[in-house]
Amino acid sequence: MSNRLHRRPLESECAICVWIPLFPLRCEERRRPELVRRPAAVLLPEDIRRLWQVSPGGRRAGVRPGMTVSQAIGLCPPLALVEPDPVHYDEQFTRLLIALEDVSPVIEPAELGRVYVGADGLERLYGGPVRQLRAVSAAVRQSGGQAVEGTEGREGGMAVGGQAAEQSDRAHTYRPTVLPPHRLSAPPPFRLGWGRGTFVAWVAASRAKPNAPLIVKQGEEQRFIATQPVAVLPVSADTHHRLRQLGITTLGELAQLPEAALVSQFGREGRRAWQLAAGGVAAPVVGRERPEPITAAMDFPAPAADRAMLALAIRRLVDRALRHPRRSGWRVHVARARAALEQGASWITEVTLKDPSADRDRIAAPLTVRLEQSPPQGAVERLVVEFVAFARGTDELQLFARDAEAAARAGRRRALHTAAREIKTRLKRAMLYHVVEVQPWSRIPERRYALIDFEY
Amino acid sequence: MVAHSRTPLRAHRLRVLNAPLRVDVTLDAGGLPKVIEERSDPSGRPILFDPTPAAGAAAHTLSPAARGSSKRVAEVLETWRIDDEWWRAPISRRYVEVALEGGGHIVVFEDLTTGNWFLQMP
Repeated sequence: MSNRLHRRPLESECAICVWIPLFPLRCEERRRPELVRRPAAVLLPEDIRRLWQVSPGGRRAGVRPGMTVSQAIGLCPPLALVEPDPVHYDEQFTRLLIALEDVSPVIEPAELGRVYVGADGLERLYGGPVRQLRAVSAAVRQSGGQAVEGTEGREGGMAVGGQAAEQSDRAHTYRPTVLPPHRLSAPPPFRLGWGRGTFVAWVAASRAKPNAPLIVKQGEEQRFIATQPVAVLPVSADTHHRLRQLGITTLGELAQLPEAALVSQFGREGRRAWQLAAGGVAAPVVGRERPEPITAAMDFPAPAADRAMLALAIRRLVDRALRHPRRSGWRVHVARARAALEQGASWITEVTLKDPSADRDRIAAPLTVRLEQSPPQGAVERLVVEFVAFARGTDELQLFARDAEAAARAGRRRALHTAAREIKTRLKRAMLYHVVEVQPWSRIPERRYALIDFEY
Repeated sequence: MVAHSRTPLRAHRLRVLNAPLRVDVTLDAGGLPKVIEERSDPSGRPILFDPTPAAGAAAHTLSPAARGSSKRVAEVLETWRIDDEWWRAPISRRYVEVALEGGGHIVVFEDLTTGNWFLQMP
């Protein structure tokens, strides 16, 4: 029962934000260096007829995320289109998270390519913020990563905001290194921001130059924040648009408005925006603990020796264990099956997944192979499946890993809808139909089923 | 008791699936198919089943050029008869399942009200 005790999540008030803009695109560029030299775009996983992320070269040609492929090619014929590989991006991001865990136990993934590292207590390990950022840089590099040149051993290489907030953007004493042509295949640098609370750290990272992390000293947050554009606020596009229409450009201007006025105009989002702009919120980094082993067990009414039945039971138990709430956010790395046999004997087998997974079949398959190779030496009375080790997964990662099929189905459905619409536009008739049952019991064959227009 | 879904039936939007296709059939002495020949309209499209006798009669006036490929029957596998809907437009069909020379099974039926033959998946 002790395993069931809830622990308080790890929290850290001081935060380091690691941000790799266009993370999926950068992953693709690492795999295919030729993409670095030409405009490129990654397609949307849910709808591969639209663009997800566009390289700066593509943006210069007028290509924007959300455009259809035909629009984008019309604007930029040499644009290289890359089919999305969410599992690969997840794997790369997981590597980054695992590497950062070596620096701090408090890691909070925010989105693909953006993660907060808790900095409370790190001064005893590494020293001040500058040294902490150096440790984080090293961890990111270790993850496979990014070539950050110049930060190593250069304390002066960090920009410090706050004391001269209005100069925060110019305060980088370290100039980013321009990669020579032979290094163009190296991945682009990431951005780091240090501050109190995740929002300040994020704003600092978003304002930091690629090779020059930005530090916002404690007590200076409000002055730093006041000069920042409202674009950094985590609010909807509609709210951003309305703020621009109202002529509010900086967080300082926003903070000067009465909170009640913003709430009446923008509702809950307005309150949140005002609190962030006024520096009234310093959300801590909330780390996630590794879950305790997850167990699912099944007692057989009569001892079972049939391997097909045991294999089926393993699949069901894996399914049940995967649905355990503690598993959410984690992929299974090591799974174990054990059985209590007749006459007090037992059986156990363990598999380590090369690629941690949250997919039932991927976890159950190696266990059933082991079942075939070295079956229990007797009939099984009780069968248990345990997940004993996990690999961290972000919310997005879990979304991709667990719901990849659902996402693919949704993508196909959207593609089908779009195709149906295009066909109707071109041919003036809907040429796609559903098959519907009319009188399936009828003796007249043509009465049983009929076609009806495919609706979209 | 299942509640009505309140979804409109929209029967006018339904299109026939598995509609019978017009064929010409040469019968043997026993009245069973010997040669089956596909028929098509002048544009080459197959002729769909129309239960009205007038349309069936009109189909007989097609030119020989509109005829399609013919298949010889190797064996008659099964025959059965359907009589239905006597309360409105009566349906009376004699189905014959045959094996073709060179392979393949098909099902044809004779519309006993018009005498026309059609090809249809059972």
